[in-house]
Amino acid sequence: MYLALDTHEQEIANAAATFLGKEFPLERLHREHGDSRRMAEFSNLGWLGLSAPENAGGSGLSIIEEMLFFLEMGRIAGPVGVLTQILAVATSQTVPITCGRLINGEVQVALVVERGPQGKIRLVGDDTASYALAVSPRAAALFELDLSACREVSCLDRSVKMYDGDASALKQVLQTEGDGVWLRAQIDVSAMMIGVAERALKMIVAYAKERQTFGRPIGSYQAVRHPCADMAVRVEVARCQLFFAATAFNEGQADAAMQIDAARLVAERAARENTDSNIQLHGGIGVTDEFSAHILLKRANLLWRLFGSSKKNMKSLLEPGGEFVKERG
Amino acid sequence: MDLNYTEEDVAFRARARAWLKDNIPRESRPPHGDAIARFDRDWQRKLHDHGWAGLNWPREYGGLGLSEVQQVIWYEECARAGAPNYINTTYIALMHAGPTVIACGTEKQKKYHLPRILSGESLWCQGFSEPNAGSDLASLKTTGVVEGDQLVVNGTKMWTTDGQFADYQELLIRTTPGSERHKGLTWVICDMRAPGITVQPIRTMMGDEHVNTTFYDNVRIPLSNVVGDLGSGWKTAMSTLAFERGTGFIGDQLALYERVNHAIALAGKTRLEDGTLAIADSGIAGRLALIKADTMAIRAMTLAQISELQQGGNPGPKGSIMKLMVTSTSKALSHLVAEMVGWTFMEYNDNKNDHPLTYDYLWSWVYTIAGGTSEIQREIIADQLLELPRAR
Repeated sequence: MYLALDTHEQEIANAAATFLGKEFPLERLHREHGDSRRMAEFSNLGWLGLSAPENAGGSGLSIIEEMLFFLEMGRIAGPVGVLTQILAVATSQTVPITCGRLINGEVQVALVVERGPQGKIRLVGDDTASYALAVSPRAAALFELDLSACREVSCLDRSVKMYDGDASALKQVLQTEGDGVWLRAQIDVSAMMIGVAERALKMIVAYAKERQTFGRPIGSYQAVRHPCADMAVRVEVARCQLFFAATAFNEGQADAAMQIDAARLVAERAARENTDSNIQLHGGIGVTDEFSAHILLKRANLLWRLFGSSKKNMKSLLEPGGEFVKERG
Repeated sequence: MDLNYTEEDVAFRARARAWLKDNIPRESRPPHGDAIARFDRDWQRKLHDHGWAGLNWPREYGGLGLSEVQQVIWYEECARAGAPNYINTTYIALMHAGPTVIACGTEKQKKYHLPRILSGESLWCQGFSEPNAGSDLASLKTTGVVEGDQLVVNGTKMWTTDGQFADYQELLIRTTPGSERHKGLTWVICDMRAPGITVQPIRTMMGDEHVNTTFYDNVRIPLSNVVGDLGSGWKTAMSTLAFERGTGFIGDQLALYERVNHAIALAGKTRLEDGTLAIADSGIAGRLALIKADTMAIRAMTLAQISELQQGGNPGPKGSIMKLMVTSTSKALSHLVAEMVGWTFMEYNDNKNDHPLTYDYLWSWVYTIAGGTSEIQREIIADQLLELPRAR
């Protein structure tokens, strides 16, 4: 029983933080379409195949390393296309050729985020996407995508392109049964939400040390200090539960799905409430376009809409008589 | 990261489970009077006689010296079996006074007190807070004046939990005349039967008398009862508090899980005013699911903290995160249950065994106030974890 990072896991987290901090600072998103056409930078360094099996051209690491990578991705509001690409890799593992082309970024994938009535679909992805991915608790499917048949809809999160179309733009290439990709997606998106929540905390703590009102830094007022402490609590709680859930999933523990549902719920709360507090505690500067607080808020709104609402996720948590002590090991 | 237990840990769990099954008391703990202390002592003696006393105490002092992981296993099994809550009249002795004497006491103090604590023979209480020194503990005013080989103590302590049953008290007093704040304090063992001590119960809103005001009128305490050095009591006291905020509440954190599952079962059979089942109400279900998720996260956080402890260091401000989370989640749970059960909640006769849901609701404020209020925990996080500019 050990629920802290070992040396190897810490190294992966550090490597991701170094790369993303240097190449993808948060401030980049103040420029137009900050992340468009940057997939090659991730494929060149092997991040897209991080947890794909080695015989499929990946690095053969586990969901733990993948989760650590997405925690760092959350902190810099990293490209959502990378999440889609990595999930597409997981979906196509039994088809080595497709999998290989996804890992080296040769083909790019958009994510089907909503399926409405009469075959209406909504996608999130780059304008270079030629494939689409749809993930549900029952299966994950990869499609060829005709993006020219879709209409771009401007998105609240400016670093993301959003498209509306219908099912005729999709032609299924392969499908993987079961909830494996779905649960992986929940872990990854929860990690990104926690990263966003952590970044919001870091932003306000830095400002609270510097900004003066009534002759004192605002960080010396309990009206600011206590909400900051609550932000730190939300992050720590969500991080610990996500570590537990990802490890349970990695080990194939019987309660992994429920642990992941719990992680998603507390990660969502951290993202929602921390991005809110960050803006509020900044005061006026917090609502301006030139300051980065709104980027985190908008990204959080995007993330908690991905892969089902929390309502769906809370069902497993309310099943009666969940055995307290699982027989592990 | 690894959730699997070693073979020894699995064997330990099996042993604990089997023993608890055969040995937990059949009757529930009495709600009032001396019978409370008798019940707790009997349970502690039983634990001691069967080799389960002093889980976290080093072996050389008669404890079991269990790893943190095995302590967690023990508390999980206690929660599962419905064993008596270990936060009882033996708590201060086992979790505060004992560890403090082990860390800072003399050989003579250790030899006399530690075996008596482990066997349940002596019960202890705490004498830290005062009428004007609670959150701001360092402003305490109870004095001890050195006269020959004795300290003469005068003043008042407050919130002395179970003081009416205690044999000894961990007493924090000001021994350097004119000293201020953290300086000039002394941590001393006070015999509760010494002449000049008056214990006066404080009736709480739960209708019980578990806390007291303690008055000291020229109480004489031998200097040989000082733990640590004269004047360095703050250091001694902090070693106790850091311990409590680290692993002292592990059992409570885990017992919360059982309570949540009971609440979920209750919501599955409780009908609201309009006839719908509580669990089918989306408002209640949403709150309950989040409380369950928080409870699972608290367990994960417990395991993360003991894993980090293995790498060395002490829990520091993370202990404050834990205390905030455990007490606020517990509060949210007891309040939700109180809403759910409608008028049944209003039935209360001051007996926690008859009306546990109402009692838990009232107790929830004790929980978020005692042992450092939620506001003080936020201050600690702001100071030590976030390193924000000081408010005071």
